[in-house]
Amino acid sequence: MDIIFIIVSVFLLLNIALGLIRVWRGPTIADRLLTTQLFGTTGMAILLVLTGYLEQLTLLNVAITFNVLAILLVIGLVQVWKKKKGESS
Amino acid sequence: MSVLIDILLAILVIYLALQSLLAPRLSQSVFLFFAFGLALALAWVRLGAVDVAITEAAIASGFLGVLFLDALRDFSPRSSEEQKNISTVQNSRSRNSVKSLLLPRLSLVLGLGLFLLIALEAVWNIPDGGGLAADAEKLLPQSGVEHPVTAVLINFRAYDTWLEIGVILLGLLAVFAVGKIQIYRKPIPVVDDILLRQVILFFTPVLFLFGAFLLYFGKTGPGGAFQAAVLWGAIGILLHLGGRPIFLLIPRWLGQLLLTLGLLFFLILGFLFIAGGATLFEYPPAYAGVLILIVETLAAISIAAALTAMFANLNQMKKEESNKIDSTN
Repeated sequence: MDIIFIIVSVFLLLNIALGLIRVWRGPTIADRLLTTQLFGTTGMAILLVLTGYLEQLTLLNVAITFNVLAILLVIGLVQVWKKKKGESS
Repeated sequence: MSVLIDILLAILVIYLALQSLLAPRLSQSVFLFFAFGLALALAWVRLGAVDVAITEAAIASGFLGVLFLDALRDFSPRSSEEQKNISTVQNSRSRNSVKSLLLPRLSLVLGLGLFLLIALEAVWNIPDGGGLAADAEKLLPQSGVEHPVTAVLINFRAYDTWLEIGVILLGLLAVFAVGKIQIYRKPIPVVDDILLRQVILFFTPVLFLFGAFLLYFGKTGPGGAFQAAVLWGAIGILLHLGGRPIFLLIPRWLGQLLLTLGLLFFLILGFLFIAGGATLFEYPPAYAGVLILIVETLAAISIAAALTAMFANLNQMKKEESNKIDSTN
């Protein structure tokens, strides 16, 4: 049973590593931001898997913290960069 | 087998740390830094420090995230002409000020060097024999909480934590000092966007509830005032971004009260029991649990207010500056 948890976590970690390609290449800032959303979701998945693996329920707190705050980045990007466009026009 | 996860995580953390410093573009650096925060939080989880992992997750991916995005906007030039303007201004400025800045710089380097030496001396002389862990463990029932980290932070080493709250306030004062305080009172136009409003309406109670949960959960497990404060501060930042700057809507004295409440109450509590023969920041064990909860709540409110004010003030300040540049052009 443990081996499944480990394989899944390693797979998810490799997913994060792959997502870094978009950070490097992403032509616009929105592309790069989407990778952070991918990291947030994947990170939560890893934490959930680790919760099962380590049998430590408090890890769920970390997962929720990540994900309720993920919205802040999206709103921040939309609002902050929208204002910039408005100023330059 | 689980070593595989750890090795992968370690490589990821070091790679991301290096790349976020060395990446050629600022936007790459910023987003690599977010990824670094995530990897670091996972690493803390693997090391068993769940408290630190929550704080890392909240600060790195939430608060620093919006601050960096905000900063990124101001560092990305809107046109190549403007870029030229900025660089010429910077060049002339730096040429003029090199000589006059020599003395302050020298004294800064000397001061920092001295500080580092003192810090090195302090680290060098750590007493051996496992430190104070055994004593802290023994006194845990008297502390009023069950989670050792909270007991150390709010009870055994309350003095440190009190100063930490002060440090956050000091950071805010620095932001106020650099920006002009009048700008802080300037109203910003209300954004009327139905999608944005719905998102904020949905997330404000979620953030508040989860923050309150983390605050209360700090008594028995990982969580506590600082983590809750970031979540509550996120509410303030969301409202600010949605065109409801909270510090402009409430009277000024109330804002100042919110900012200083935690520090003030902690200080009063610290000295309160000296009259009864206790030492500084010693609570009577019978009431310790309740007192710690009150202190943590007020501290969380103050830190949340400080984080909100920091973001709001920086956001406003830069907008004002860019408006000024526009009008002079």
